Amino acid sequence: MENMGTRVIEPLIMGRVVGDVLDFFTPTTKMNVSYNKKQVSNGHELFPSSVSSKPRVEIHGGDLRSFFTLVMIDPDVPGPSDPFLKEHLHWIVTNIPGTTDATFGKEVVSYELPRPSIGIHRFVFVLFRQKQRRVIFPNIPSRDHFNTRKFAVEYDLGLPVAAVFFNAQRETAARKR
Amino acid sequence: MLSSAKHQRNHRLSATNKNQTLTKVSSISSSSPSSSSSSSSTSSSSPLPSQDSQAQKRSLVTMEEVWNDINLASIHHLNRHSPHPQHNHEPRFRGQNHHNQNPNSIFQDFLKGSLNQEPAPTSQTTGSAPNGDSTTVTVLYSSPFPPPATVLSLNSGAGFEFLDNQDPLVTSNSNLHTHHHLSNAHAFNTSFEALVPSSSFGKKRGQDSNEGSGNRRHKRMIKNRESAARSRARKQAYTNELELEVAHLQAENARLKRQQDQLKMAAAIQQPKKNTLQRSSTAPF
Repeated sequence: MENMGTRVIEPLIMGRVVGDVLDFFTPTTKMNVSYNKKQVSNGHELFPSSVSSKPRVEIHGGDLRSFFTLVMIDPDVPGPSDPFLKEHLHWIVTNIPGTTDATFGKEVVSYELPRPSIGIHRFVFVLFRQKQRRVIFPNIPSRDHFNTRKFAVEYDLGLPVAAVFFNAQRETAARKR
Repeated sequence: MLSSAKHQRNHRLSATNKNQTLTKVSSISSSSPSSSSSSSSTSSSSPLPSQDSQAQKRSLVTMEEVWNDINLASIHHLNRHSPHPQHNHEPRFRGQNHHNQNPNSIFQDFLKGSLNQEPAPTSQTTGSAPNGDSTTVTVLYSSPFPPPATVLSLNSGAGFEFLDNQDPLVTSNSNLHTHHHLSNAHAFNTSFEALVPSSSFGKKRGQDSNEGSGNRRHKRMIKNRESAARSRARKQAYTNELELEVAHLQAENARLKRQQDQLKMAAAIQQPKKNTLQRSSTAPF
């Protein structure tokens, strides 16, 4: 299991999610993110049209007394070559009980559908395990310039317990193959 | 009178150029082993200050010393470097051709020609046909930097001492050489921060409008390089994920097969019992 954990993070390192957004961590909780039954895997490309409504996020870990915070961000705004607005916040759900899914949590920041305009963006789901049930986050003034690391420090969330990311670009972008 | 003043100016400029180049080289040599020999030779010609500002304050006499040292050092450096062919060979040969075949005036003409051609940003593609050799040389050296820097140092080298024809040519050649070398060393470094000093390095020397377009091209090139790196990273991440999935599915498949075997075994053990029972029960007599 330990070995599995370190291997699972490899695509996140390759995709520079670990580094750009997160520090190195060891995944300890299994998280399934799926749009319309289609599971999100690291580095896969999804079309903006297929991610227009919020995904189902299941947490296979912990128990009903443990609580999790889910954050979804885009570190490549407005474009990956000069992401001066990074990170863009898409979604925050808190107080998700273990073994359940995100619909059992409290949606603090509503889901904003990905609309990548310049280049290929990464969209990252990060799961934190809360130290206790609580935390009503204050209103976040802007979705831009969000910082996942700072956020985790501010609310004492520690290192992530799971993360997954997908790629997306403009629906009409020229694609190879 | 006027020309001598010009010479002095050229001299000063070239000397500072030299110093910049050399400090660059020595700073780079710590990281790249290929240029270590050059650094050792330059560091032995010690009166070089490490700061550019200091260099500019120095008197002309010391400049001369520096210049001579550089000549020796750079020749040394050239000879030493010949076993590394990739970047070094061609520029060196071209320089020697100029040196052997053409008198000094033609060499200057070539410089003027290349200067005139420089401002056109498309000189790389269009200019190579008419002027043959000279343009190819500029194209060769201009790669990521605004070329006037190189041209200026060449001019100063040629104008500095007419008595001694060989040295300026050779040194200017070696200057080109180091410049080229530098650009290569920088080219390997993809991060933008590392390239910023080099662009300002060019800026100090360059004075014409070409600089802007060169910079822009440079920036575009960096962007493109970063984009390519991202693309590679994406692909690698994707491949990695697929490999993980394959490993995971294989493990699961193996587990399910084992489970099936166990079930079969269990069924096989149970089956004969059933058969015997059935037989005994179905026998009426």
